[in-house]
Amino acid sequence: MVNERESLFRRLSAACGGHGAGPGEGLPGEAPVPPEIDRVALFAKTFAAADGVLLRGPLEKALSDLGEMLRAEGVTALFFPEDDAAAREIAEALVPFGPFSLTTGAEVRGGSAAVTAGFRTAEAAIAETGTVVETSAGGRTLLPGLIPDVHVSIVPAASVVARMEEALAAFTADPPRNISFLSGPSRTGDIEQTLTIGAHGPRKAIVLLLTIPGPGVKITSL
Amino acid sequence: MELKANAFGRNARKALLDKTLQGALERTTGRFQAHRDAAVAAFPEFEATRERASGIKRDVLDHLDTYLARFIEEAEKRGAIVHVARDAAQAREIAARIARNEGITLAVKSKSMASEEISLNEALQGAGVTVVESDLGEYIIQLAGETPSHIIAPAAHKTREQISRLFERHLGEPRTDSIPGLVGMARKHLREKFLSAGMGVSGGNFLVADTGSVVLVTNEGNGRMGTVLPRVHLAVVGIEKVIPRMADLPTFLRLLPRSATGQAISSYVSIVTGTRRAGDPEGPDRMHILLLDCGRSAILEGKYREVLKCVRCGACLNCCPVYQSVGGHPYGWVYSGPIGAVLTPLLVGLPEAAALPDASTLCGACADVCPVKIPLPDFLLELRADAREQGLKTPGEIAAMKGYAGVMKRAGLLEAIERIGGVLGQFFTKGKGIGGLPYPFSGWTERRDFPAPAALPFRKRWKIQRGARD
Amino acid sequence: MPYTTGMGPFGSIPVSLFFTCLADAFSPGVCSATVEVLERFGATVRVPLSQTCCGQPAFNSGNRKEARAMARKFLLTFPDDGPIVTPSGSCAAMVKHGYPVLFRDEPRMLARARAVGDRIYELSQYLVDVLGVTDPKSDFSGKVTYHDSCHLRRGLGVVSAPRKLLRAVPGVEFVEMEESDRCCGFGGVFSVKYPQISCKMTERKVERILETGAAYVTSGDLGCLLNIGGLISRIGYPVKVIHLAEILAGKAAGRGDAG
Repeated sequence: MVNERESLFRRLSAACGGHGAGPGEGLPGEAPVPPEIDRVALFAKTFAAADGVLLRGPLEKALSDLGEMLRAEGVTALFFPEDDAAAREIAEALVPFGPFSLTTGAEVRGGSAAVTAGFRTAEAAIAETGTVVETSAGGRTLLPGLIPDVHVSIVPAASVVARMEEALAAFTADPPRNISFLSGPSRTGDIEQTLTIGAHGPRKAIVLLLTIPGPGVKITSL
Repeated sequence: MELKANAFGRNARKALLDKTLQGALERTTGRFQAHRDAAVAAFPEFEATRERASGIKRDVLDHLDTYLARFIEEAEKRGAIVHVARDAAQAREIAARIARNEGITLAVKSKSMASEEISLNEALQGAGVTVVESDLGEYIIQLAGETPSHIIAPAAHKTREQISRLFERHLGEPRTDSIPGLVGMARKHLREKFLSAGMGVSGGNFLVADTGSVVLVTNEGNGRMGTVLPRVHLAVVGIEKVIPRMADLPTFLRLLPRSATGQAISSYVSIVTGTRRAGDPEGPDRMHILLLDCGRSAILEGKYREVLKCVRCGACLNCCPVYQSVGGHPYGWVYSGPIGAVLTPLLVGLPEAAALPDASTLCGACADVCPVKIPLPDFLLELRADAREQGLKTPGEIAAMKGYAGVMKRAGLLEAIERIGGVLGQFFTKGKGIGGLPYPFSGWTERRDFPAPAALPFRKRWKIQRGARD
Repeated sequence: MPYTTGMGPFGSIPVSLFFTCLADAFSPGVCSATVEVLERFGATVRVPLSQTCCGQPAFNSGNRKEARAMARKFLLTFPDDGPIVTPSGSCAAMVKHGYPVLFRDEPRMLARARAVGDRIYELSQYLVDVLGVTDPKSDFSGKVTYHDSCHLRRGLGVVSAPRKLLRAVPGVEFVEMEESDRCCGFGGVFSVKYPQISCKMTERKVERILETGAAYVTSGDLGCLLNIGGLISRIGYPVKVIHLAEILAGKAAGRGDAG
């Protein structure tokens, strides 16, 4: 195996040799930084364009709207990670709006048949593309946006960045196993090139936009 | 995958007569093309971003040894085991060994053109693994026992009726003409596989050198499932997929989804680096990255190296009037459309695929849409010249070319032939068109007329009218 | 800035006509029309009669040895100065873009090819971009649609010049077709090597033409017109093909129909 690697690099060096500039010297400079924008307003627009649903405003109303949406999707069970305080708070507050039951990661991972909504506080959101950023950094789980039928992301407004570059910069030095960009629900056009929302991932993507700074803080308003 | 590129002509004719296919092609490519054009029109920085991406890829190709070495170093630092395969046979052997060593019996696979090149599924099956394709399009054609017909939409050639019949036969599902219904059936059956598979197999849209990451760009969510849940992750990726830095990724993410499907961003972008870290609740304990050379280092050495910039978006397929007419299967291998007409001969050898570079009018639409500015029409011309150099042209064509060039050497000779042609032509056709040309031009007159030569060529008229001399 | 005496950037140096082997043999009216139009705007038209073929069919099919022979002759045939004008987008593109490829290993020929390539123009490109013509002064009348030939549009970047000229003819009712820049399926050798695919593409082009209700379809490339015209004539559709030069020349040029 190592021999094959050596011989590959011999072939590559022969093919690459003879270029004056060193690696990176021929690279274009930094992508131009666009002027400052209203990131939250842009995120609302791009997330909707990606078929996501954004909720904000007074907490009671948002919870009621969310409850209604989940009922309309046939959701019966809510899942939140043990270590995600904001997700726990929202999910527990929602229970009476169903009524919904609370389910565990083990049940979700085991392929529970219940129509489930997964709750998770996002690491960041990207205004440019309408993206929710989730990573495995700090040992956090990705299950809420992976297996359940509905994904509810809790996004602190202060964590909305303008472009993908900013979202990635935080993770370049020491990337976790998984950085995921989630832009709306899963979809496929593989049958007759007809767009169908809801493929293998969640079929509905909802964002609860928080105006308080960070996850883990008791929510009193959105 | 089995190679049938030189049967292009025969298979193209069959495709033209296949009414179901023709309907599917018109729908697929028309939609992709329209969505792509709309997305590009709505993105004013498209040209500038294209130029950037092309520049980044050129730098990568100029220093692929350095960047690939860095990628391997960083990936291994974070727990990945990196393998290198010179050719398809070696790649299959490595994959089978991995499957056996890891004790895999069930693998879920997300889309990878590179894995088709090496016939990966066969190799895994040979090692006792049941391989389930999880991309809906790939899943469908796996059930049908067919090969993909489009880089982005593998089942583009299938109707919902055909798919429903497949699901009835193989999955025991009731017949339906509801597309969401069909998608729901696939989701249900594949969900169980994701949750129980020992290995997730993926391709890689990009390899990030400064972090050792593999990037997957998908819409369905199967790529994520397959690289988060199973205990082993196998990524099969061509060596040319490297980009230098994480900071370069957004440039390509701005181009790839727009060019492929007309989306500003795909539903999911997964950036996976190494194995699960201590304390991670999910993630593979073992990650294998199988890097494929399979002809790429040879291309890198030569005049076609820019073709290695390709990001497999499929935009060139969607805008190509030839692809739109015949679909992907006549191209006879993994890659079809304009990129296939160039890449296949380069990867499998021109003698095995000489029919492909000729399957183009050189209209240039592909060069207009390529997000990384690969000069595909120039490469098609170059391959045609290579075919002549390598003795792959028929003696008839060469003789005809020599004859034609011989006539064109002397204006006097040309004029004489034109005069004779003019007299004969006018005599036999009485000013109407020619209904039947002799071989090898007979193809033209199957369904088109051809004009008779003019009674007097222009050069003679000019001499008469203006009293000019030669 | 209208020039009415062919005085353009080249002063009063004559314009050389590259009339193309295809038009020479099959549609000489196109060549005459080209001369008519150039002279109308004050050009003195030289016609080097030792010209034959630019070598495009050989180059496009990969037969570079033969193409080079024809290219050498072409470069010898045309004078060392002054613009070269041709009624063919594909032939102009061949000289401009194909010749530097053919001579990439021969520095002297390469330099000469580049120099010639710098002063070769397709007709509408020359009229609009060099002479500044805004009104071709044509008495042609009819409902006309325009096909963007691939080499004129993508090879030379000529898109608006033909349209400007057509729209300026009072008798022309100009209508854009859908997919005007979609390939008609000719592709030179392609139309003979893969005739069924070629025809399918031509059929689609003819459908778009018929949808406009135009009586004429025109273009800056005779190859495309022979291809489209061949299908039209076989089926008998009520559309005529006519070269752009013939429309611009108007009734004075006579109607040397291609088919």
